[in-house]
Amino acid sequence: MKKVYHESGVFHVSGEAIYIDDLLINSQLLICKVVCSTYAHAKIKSFDLSQAKELQGIHAILSYHDLPAKNITGPIVQDELILAEDEVTFVGQGIFLIAAESKEIAIEAEKLIKIEYEPLEPIVTIEQAMAKGSKLHPTQTMSCGNVEKARKESQHIIEGEISNGAQEHWYLETQISVAVPGEGDDMKVYSSTQHPSETQALVAEALGIKKMDVEVETRRMGGAFGGKESQANIIAIYAALLSQKTRQPVKLRLSREEDQIMTGKRHPFISKFKIGFNDEGIINFYEVNMHTNAGASYDLTMPIVARALTHAENSYYIPNAKISATPWKTNTASNTAFRGFGGPQGMLGIEAAIEKIAFYLKKDASEIRYKNFYGIDDRNISPYGEIVENNRLYTIWDKLMETSEYEKRKIKINKFNHEKEFYKKGLAVTPVKFGISFNSAFLNQAGALVNIYTDGTVLVNHGGTEMGQGLYTKIRQIAALELGISIDNVKVNATTTSKVPNTSATAASSGTDLNGMAVKNATDKLKKRIAQVIVDEFNKDDKHAFSKIENIVFKNNYIFDKNNTERKISFEKAISIVYLNRVSLSATGYYKTPNIYYDNDKQKGRPFHYYAFGISVSEIFLDTLTGYVKLLRTDILHDAGKTINKNIDIGQIEGGFVQGVGWCTIEECKWDKNGNLLNHSPDTYKIPGITDIPEDFRVNLLEDAPNPNTIRQSKAVGEPPFMLAFSIFFAIKDAIAAVGNHEFEPNLNLPATNEKILLSIEDIKNKIS
Amino acid sequence: MTDNNSIISFVFDDRIVNIDFQSNNKYTPTTTVLEYLRSLPNHKGVKEGCAEGDCGACTVVIAQLNDYNRLTYKAFNSCIIFLPQLHGKQLITVENLGNSNNLHPVQTAMVENNASQCGYCTPGFTMSLFALYKNINNPSKKEIDDALTGNLCRCTGYRPIIDAATQACVNNGIDKFTEKENEVISLLSAIDKQHTIALQNKKQKYFIPFDINKALELKDQYNDAIILNGGTDVALRVTKKNELLPEIIDISEINELKHIKVNDNSITIGAGFSLEDVKKVCKYDFPELSSILSVFGSKQIRNKGTLGGNIGSASPIGDTLPILMAYDASIILKNIEKERKIKLRDFITAYHTTKITKNELITSIEIPKVTDDTIIKSYKISKRKTLDISTVSAGFSLNLDKNSIVKDIKLFYGGMSAITKRAEKTENFLIGKNWERTIVEQAMPLIYDEFSPLSDARSGDEGRKIMGRNLLLKFYLETAN
Repeated sequence: MKKVYHESGVFHVSGEAIYIDDLLINSQLLICKVVCSTYAHAKIKSFDLSQAKELQGIHAILSYHDLPAKNITGPIVQDELILAEDEVTFVGQGIFLIAAESKEIAIEAEKLIKIEYEPLEPIVTIEQAMAKGSKLHPTQTMSCGNVEKARKESQHIIEGEISNGAQEHWYLETQISVAVPGEGDDMKVYSSTQHPSETQALVAEALGIKKMDVEVETRRMGGAFGGKESQANIIAIYAALLSQKTRQPVKLRLSREEDQIMTGKRHPFISKFKIGFNDEGIINFYEVNMHTNAGASYDLTMPIVARALTHAENSYYIPNAKISATPWKTNTASNTAFRGFGGPQGMLGIEAAIEKIAFYLKKDASEIRYKNFYGIDDRNISPYGEIVENNRLYTIWDKLMETSEYEKRKIKINKFNHEKEFYKKGLAVTPVKFGISFNSAFLNQAGALVNIYTDGTVLVNHGGTEMGQGLYTKIRQIAALELGISIDNVKVNATTTSKVPNTSATAASSGTDLNGMAVKNATDKLKKRIAQVIVDEFNKDDKHAFSKIENIVFKNNYIFDKNNTERKISFEKAISIVYLNRVSLSATGYYKTPNIYYDNDKQKGRPFHYYAFGISVSEIFLDTLTGYVKLLRTDILHDAGKTINKNIDIGQIEGGFVQGVGWCTIEECKWDKNGNLLNHSPDTYKIPGITDIPEDFRVNLLEDAPNPNTIRQSKAVGEPPFMLAFSIFFAIKDAIAAVGNHEFEPNLNLPATNEKILLSIEDIKNKIS
Repeated sequence: MTDNNSIISFVFDDRIVNIDFQSNNKYTPTTTVLEYLRSLPNHKGVKEGCAEGDCGACTVVIAQLNDYNRLTYKAFNSCIIFLPQLHGKQLITVENLGNSNNLHPVQTAMVENNASQCGYCTPGFTMSLFALYKNINNPSKKEIDDALTGNLCRCTGYRPIIDAATQACVNNGIDKFTEKENEVISLLSAIDKQHTIALQNKKQKYFIPFDINKALELKDQYNDAIILNGGTDVALRVTKKNELLPEIIDISEINELKHIKVNDNSITIGAGFSLEDVKKVCKYDFPELSSILSVFGSKQIRNKGTLGGNIGSASPIGDTLPILMAYDASIILKNIEKERKIKLRDFITAYHTTKITKNELITSIEIPKVTDDTIIKSYKISKRKTLDISTVSAGFSLNLDKNSIVKDIKLFYGGMSAITKRAEKTENFLIGKNWERTIVEQAMPLIYDEFSPLSDARSGDEGRKIMGRNLLLKFYLETAN
């Protein structure tokens, strides 16, 4: 098949692609501004809206008193106030909603609002929450084997700790929604959401209306990365509340600073571990206590914790494990989904533990990693009881170690490090095994609606959303391939709750797996109907040889009998015949992932349909005087099954990796003791730029790797590559270790900023002297 | 004022657009070009990603006449340019390049290299690429990086965008704009660029003088007026702090301030010279200034920001200050009566405070040529290498005698104090001693002790102290022998 580009590519580059902020809404559009708490924790003693309400151009100002239904919301556990009542619990929490004729008027009104606070002591960090016993939810524990026994039997036991910081999503398009009132209770909501069905449900609840009254439409998002899985909801609710109140269209678009302050981030984690192993470095047991900062409410913390638990062993077989995680409640914006969804944080602990083993045994960490990989036929049961099937770690490892010339470069780097006093290089290889499926089994379902029009063109509706990942492109390809027609005659429609209901979030890397299958289910139905009509048509013309449905082929814009290839009709012509025969040219499709289940109480089951694998090798350069790091080379070999679109998959891998590099290196969120986020703008929060990618960047897909039982034998590719960035972090650590001739293990946590690197080097130097 | 010219004119969509600020309520003199474009139905390709010049999603290209009456095409962040700054120029947006059925070569290359994912940053990248296309044929990787540093993408990891740049920029800049160039030149030439523009509405006055005397007269009359010289910093007061700026004198259009003069012992750089131009012209005489400027903001920022503006804002971490002080630069201040010269190191007195008086303007910066026995180096440490403000910056100057004894040393640090500050104790310790590693290592703790930097979003105080201390050793390592 010839190269298929992103279905919106030509619209992106010409500025024609329409995002919500670009919608041409009539002149009655009002602008919403959210008045937020400036305290992390405080009582609201009183407030006065009277002056602000009198301002010319103000159409409504709402407080919690003015809400039409219940003042509570949330994606799973409903514990978030829509608008704060007598207490605020984080900086950036919404207290009032302003609807004004312009942004300027809204800002002026905000200045006229008086709020009297009584500050209370905030809990900002995990440590503070632990000291105060501020648990969001009881500790979750998963175990296998017998850790007590293994403790006694292990030749060596060491312990350690590693932490990671928060990560701001920094989607280029900030959170946005436009609500347009219709007749009666009708509310049309344009939302930049990964989860239109949930946005629909929560808007309906907040407005006190029915789901059938609310339509949520999402054509495309300007990036999401998990940040719009649950946290787009409140934005849509705010716009819809004001729209319901004023009976006018209302737009809420957060400024960059508002977005960074008001919305949650990747969960910070602290992992404290003990690991037992033998002289060879083979792990006998792993015990880890993970602690995470959930923020002020549940949001998606519990499923994120579930994924951290089920990824705490990464690619390694652990015969005896005790893995626990505790979410702590703090006075910061509720942390939320972000590419990897707890997986990266879960994996970080075992990767740090493996590094520790390597230092302890004075071996290369790559050796310890390889030796502990899940086995093919044995040593292949995960701590939660799922067998790791179709393990491709060894295949990938063997190829990548060869093509990246790991061993040869290791020697060269050692030589370099011995020769240079202030410049060091580091090298590391890290693997990723990532479980594909939502951890909650019921979410693994999808729907589609495929319409064929009488000119032979096809409009595909499905429940997934496009955030740049290329889902619409792949769906378009799938529909075209299944129907045997050109992609030029297939269009993917904007995702809307009125076409496909009760959908799951486009998340967990599952977009193509679920929706692609649902679309195929619909096209299968249509093909069957079309084939029946066409067979009759063929047989009508020629009574001597009978065509059978099972021999009808859809290919190259034609429909033909493979046993009698002159019996051929163009797709377009066929469709008009089907129409004249009064047969429906519209079909719904549905899919649920087979054979997955999980017992939450026992923390056992088969939560994942399959695993995606990838390995990366990275080499970095470090200036030990300035902490400056240059990424010299990264080699990635990743398993995307039989790819549907190679360029899109490579794009996901490269983009995910670079985002992971940001999390591992320069992206840093700091809060002051009052709970104010210090890095709340791009001035101080730095995502990778064009000069922050590896100078030599070699990304390849594993070839000849069809995946059984998935759409066109492909694999999900959205999240797994994010964690390949660990090779950068550990390469940096390797370079720092070179300062002390690899005799001391550097103390280094994520993010490894130049500041943290310099402090780590100081620490090593102090140990030497 | 005798001039009463309340209209600005620029070329847009192949025609002259006039905006009268007195008669319309839609735009004010501090409406940004981004806000203006977003208010139009057919130019929504331009996106707001941050509204502070840090992401490039709003990038547009502005073409203007150069000294040879030809057009130059440069990329700018439309979010930090006020509408009046378009006067006499051509505004080009992504829609002007081509539509989805008829793409410009840079657009085609972006599509064919899968260089867009979510697409939100894409129009901005496309415009930066377009500026590159018009200026550099077959650009090197370094030139591509330089052209695109000011654009952030969160999806792709940049590799395909770099490939798109390589693929596209091969036609010597020839495209549909080349065909229309003469037409645009005649439109632009017809716009009055002599009579001071005085824009007024009920709340604001915005002046654009075209010669320095007019500007000085205005400053004399409007003592409190904000001076806009490029405006990359001033604009943030509007876009981020929602301030109303009542009086602005925009001196960015004064040609006299855009010249460079080579004297016998010094070079005088006009205060209105863009940082990008300073970077280019100082490459040989003041390479360390050039080197700092190569990691200063982004191309879009350097195209707009000026040396005079950077000094005038007196930021504690103004990235150019330590190196300019190391070069012993002076600034020339003028009012309607007289001109005076003051050493830069004496000019800034406190956080965002200088010795400029209310009726003065910075007109130029004079940098003495470096004598043969002086070694000068600049350093910048930032979390991200490019498009980041320094955590610590430094400008060092060193004179050694023939026996490698330190005759004189000056160590200027940015980011270590409320203003750019010298490490005087350390300097005194080093003067008269051998420039050798053991001595330098003895001096390092002094640096560590003589500063008490802040802990902030960029770094903790301890980290800053280590950086400051290490830079001295780095300076030694780079200058020994």
